[in-house]
Amino acid sequence: MGWLPLANILHHKLRSAFSAMGIGIAVCMLITLGGLSRGSLFEIAQRWESVDADLIVLPRGWGDNASDKSGAALADRYADKIAEELPQMVRRVVAVFTWQMKLAGQDQMAAGVDPDQWDALSGGRKISQGRLFDPRGDFGRWIRSKLLTGGTGNGEVIEIDEQDLSDPAHNGLELVIDTRLAEAGGYQLGQTVFAANHHWRIVGIVPAGAMARVFLPRATAQYLFGNGDMTRGTLMFVKLAEGVDPGPAAGAIAKLTGQDVVAVARYRGMLMEKFGIMFVYVDAVNTVAMIIAFLFIMITLYTMVLQRTREIAILKSAGASRTFLARQIAAESLILSGAGMVAGVGGSFLAARAIQAFRPLLTVTITWEWIAVAVAVAAVGAMASAVYPAWKAGRVDVAEALALE
Amino acid sequence: MSNDGGNIVVANDIEKSFGRGAGRVHVLRGLDLTVRKGEFLAVMGPSGCGKTTLLHVLGLVTPQDAGEVFLNNRQVPLKDSARNVLRRKHIGLVFQRFNLINVLSAADNVAIWLRVRGLPSDGRVQPLLEAVGIPHLARRKPSQMSVGEQQRVAVARAIAHDPDLLLADEPTGSLDSLNATALLELLRNFNRLRGQTIVMITHSPEAAAFANRVVHMKDGRLLP
Repeated sequence: MGWLPLANILHHKLRSAFSAMGIGIAVCMLITLGGLSRGSLFEIAQRWESVDADLIVLPRGWGDNASDKSGAALADRYADKIAEELPQMVRRVVAVFTWQMKLAGQDQMAAGVDPDQWDALSGGRKISQGRLFDPRGDFGRWIRSKLLTGGTGNGEVIEIDEQDLSDPAHNGLELVIDTRLAEAGGYQLGQTVFAANHHWRIVGIVPAGAMARVFLPRATAQYLFGNGDMTRGTLMFVKLAEGVDPGPAAGAIAKLTGQDVVAVARYRGMLMEKFGIMFVYVDAVNTVAMIIAFLFIMITLYTMVLQRTREIAILKSAGASRTFLARQIAAESLILSGAGMVAGVGGSFLAARAIQAFRPLLTVTITWEWIAVAVAVAAVGAMASAVYPAWKAGRVDVAEALALE
Repeated sequence: MSNDGGNIVVANDIEKSFGRGAGRVHVLRGLDLTVRKGEFLAVMGPSGCGKTTLLHVLGLVTPQDAGEVFLNNRQVPLKDSARNVLRRKHIGLVFQRFNLINVLSAADNVAIWLRVRGLPSDGRVQPLLEAVGIPHLARRKPSQMSVGEQQRVAVARAIAHDPDLLLADEPTGSLDSLNATALLELLRNFNRLRGQTIVMITHSPEAAAFANRVVHMKDGRLLP
């Protein structure tokens, strides 16, 4: 038989469509904004977690607040010290210099790494187009040699100009970028880009997912962004030997170096703590959107109850209980919410695609957990929205309603 | 008046008024009525004499202010939920304006009546539509039917759960004479062939003529 709630919804197609659309927009917002805010941060966290390492050594005091720091802050000598003094514990130390470079219209974290440590930093990702920057480490050797021997020792300033840096023999101003940055900026292999006050040549493109979107020779980063101090970087990734417990190892490294040591897995938490307030705003916006959507449904149902007072009275005259009437209204609310949920979930996937098509550097992560949250919120909201109209329906006076005949 | 075994409904000294204070209107004033099993009773009277209110009291839609109502020899309690259960089980109502649910087909209008009463609808709807002579209209919505057809659906709906008492409030009030006659014949057949007890409110002497007993009301009381 035809089901009354469904029949009512189909009878009032436009009103039902608007109600479902209200829920759909709210659900879409909930999933998309949640997926966008968390997705972009988690994507950064995932990239850091892709580094083949267990611990991060940071300058003392940075601790849990290191997620957006860069520059020359940590002496390279700690890398040797760790490797030399904890050989059973540590398999590898990768020193990295991070800096901000504006590419594709927004700041990107650029990671300076020694070419021979690329594999560890990139998590084994192979360059898909072109080659690694300064593959033989020529620039590092050249700049160090120049700095050591180029002066007279009488306070003479060593002048290294753009031409020296970009000399093909040194390969100093070379970049490797990831595929998403290449897509976002429309960058091609071999193209020269201007960033951080220098002209760089894109020599390689790596599949997205590596620690940074931009990579350059560490020596170049140290020289250009570290005030010429070739002895310092920003942080170090430490890969522990097989079976070593990261907790005690972190303590040992911290004790040895006097620097802060955190687990790579902790980086996600650091990001969340740093940018967690953003989630509060996003969640607040989502909450308001959901409340508005459900108020809309409640008004729709309430209007329906008012419009159908006679119908409700007729059902009551047949002996329909308040529970029966409440079930009809709750079912109507659930159908509208269900339709809205389906539209909202579908819309969120479309929105995610659209966002990533127009802003390739943004990541929208739609997870089953978020969909489940949206579905649960919509279901609970639907039931809550139905409470007052159902109560109102239960109070319809049959004799009074029928007396209007 | 006392209750006895052959009665479906006995109403004793029923009082019912609406409003408060100076605006209070006494609609039923010590009314007594007995409806016997298998009877087709017509209640006639001028507008405002309390016919519909009487029907609502007998149909357990409205509680009386004073007096008592017996249904199947048992006193009807005043508590809403108990009256609701009795109404669901024992009473069928037909209204002047049919009061069908516009968004449902004829068959679904009947089926939901069964569902409200917790009865299965499978296989029961079509025979009911056949009984009222409109088996071919099962899928039509009220807006796609004539008023006569709509009232037949309303009758099918009212008898769907095989009620002990069928109450009809001016069932021919919205029908032309042809449809009115057909409907009254239908009710009379139900009464004669199925033993259906019917109480019909009507203004029309022609309609009342189909009943096997007619009572007259005036000022909230039955005329002797």
